[in-house]
Amino acid sequence: MSSRKLPRLLQAPAVILLLFWMIVPLAMTLFFSFIRYVLNSLNRPEWTSPSFSNWRGFGNYEFVLNSKDFWFAVQNSLFIVGSILFLTVIFGVLIAVLINKTFPGQGIVRVLLISPFFIMPAVNAVLWINMILDPVLGLNGLAIEGINGVIASLHDAPAVGWFFSLWPKFEPISFRATQTAAYAVIMMVTWQWTPFAVLIFMTSLQSEDEQQKEAAILDGAGKWSQFRFLTLPHLARPIAIVVMIQAIFHLSLYAEIEIVSRGNGNKNLPYLIGEFANNNIGAASATGIFAVILANIVAIFLLRAVGKTLME
Amino acid sequence: MAIVAQNSKFGIFGRPILAWVVAMVFFFPIFWLVFTSFKTDADAVKPEFLFFFTPTLDNYLNMTENYDYWRFATNSVITSVLATAVALFVGIPAAYAMAFNPARHTKDILMWMLSTKMLPAAAVLYPMTFLAKGAGIFDTHFVIVLVLALINLPIVVWMLFTYFKEIPKDIIEAGQMDGVNTWGEIKEILIPLAWGGIASTALLCFIFCWNEAYWTVRLTTTDAATLSKLIEGNRAPEGLFFGRLSAVSAAAVGPIVVLGWFCQKQLVQGLTFGAVK
Repeated sequence: MSSRKLPRLLQAPAVILLLFWMIVPLAMTLFFSFIRYVLNSLNRPEWTSPSFSNWRGFGNYEFVLNSKDFWFAVQNSLFIVGSILFLTVIFGVLIAVLINKTFPGQGIVRVLLISPFFIMPAVNAVLWINMILDPVLGLNGLAIEGINGVIASLHDAPAVGWFFSLWPKFEPISFRATQTAAYAVIMMVTWQWTPFAVLIFMTSLQSEDEQQKEAAILDGAGKWSQFRFLTLPHLARPIAIVVMIQAIFHLSLYAEIEIVSRGNGNKNLPYLIGEFANNNIGAASATGIFAVILANIVAIFLLRAVGKTLME
Repeated sequence: MAIVAQNSKFGIFGRPILAWVVAMVFFFPIFWLVFTSFKTDADAVKPEFLFFFTPTLDNYLNMTENYDYWRFATNSVITSVLATAVALFVGIPAAYAMAFNPARHTKDILMWMLSTKMLPAAAVLYPMTFLAKGAGIFDTHFVIVLVLALINLPIVVWMLFTYFKEIPKDIIEAGQMDGVNTWGEIKEILIPLAWGGIASTALLCFIFCWNEAYWTVRLTTTDAATLSKLIEGNRAPEGLFFGRLSAVSAAAVGPIVVLGWFCQKQLVQGLTFGAVK
């Protein structure tokens, strides 16, 4: 066997498998997005199986673009992803800078901090929405009840009792409600992914130029200007990468949305696709194509950034 | 100079204290999960037993009875282990070829592999369900292993590639001179040399498989259902079963969190595709 052929042969299984994985389902989605395909259609049984004779052109896309749910899902997807990105990057930078110096117990602090990242999404959601955020039995409810109790006990206090008796009774927020479900998801995912940002930023900070920093200190640069003019520019690239990787992951959030409120008032694109896919496959597929486009916009930038360092 | 920078009061007292507080805050939900798992279901929702209670192991001992835990856990182990094995089996030769015989298109192939990872799963939800049901493999270990191996294959190839690149080419070429065939090269030279890299790639792949929460839920019903599916199926106990739910959740994530502690470094590499060093 010639030495040129062999490498290709070794790569072939991986390439062929991935090619199938990428092309076959996606081609089917594309096809389904152009036909009428409804699983439970009593009046038009011919629509219940995929066929070219059910061609609908851009009808499914039109249907999706005209549905209120779609625009809400797009907005909500961007709101959730944007909020998580903002919070994880800020917390990530602050915590990474905080624990980057050696101090007693640094190793344990690192281990404790990284742990949330390894929790499976379903457990993350179940834990937060029940044990922590439940408005009656979770810590959220118990804390508010405790505060109310303290205030009530102060009503009879001498001299200041009248003041506390004017206070209202606090109501815990229910995070399963339609208006707040998105906040619960943002909270739990931020908790899970801040460690990821910390880890990446710390890795990057270790390659920071110490001599440059020492020179800056000799020149009388304060802590803030060291951070602003040395550390932050050094972190620009890792921040960009953290943003892009998280964007791709969080655009596909599913388990958390499902567990918190079953999508009630808090749908994102994957969730909407899942709902459509119970019946209207045409609409589910058209929505899927939009999700692919959205993810690709992010992916192009990410691949470009990754490609630069590839062959070094 | 480093001493000057550390000499402030903040450096000596403030930083460690603040760092410990932050770490505790982040770890608290996990602590609380484990803490609650030692309470009975009745105690778990009573404020008077919030911090002080009689600990019990019943929730763990009754996991099989309450949730059929071991069946789901077995499925998780089987699918994650096999998927990791498949990904390595396909990935090692590919990464080997790319690292030691790079061609003009090697970089493009790697980039393209990565791009498959960015396809939103939901976009192909129905076709996958359709294909799996059509082929009669819906809700089997086979389909879950296949899907898990495929979604992790790009990361596996990528990580192995970066590890293999570090091995001097001469060593491999010396093997070729001695007339060792390709399989022999991989088995006798490459795998022993890159053992650490392969092990950490496998570990990371295993963790990702274990935590996968979309396909394992959507492509199974009972026979091949994993722990993700089990927990998601018991999502809303409305405070009824906090104790037992905490126990089964802790059992589902415990092993993985511990494994995760050992591969922080690889995590950075595996998730950023080597772009952050």
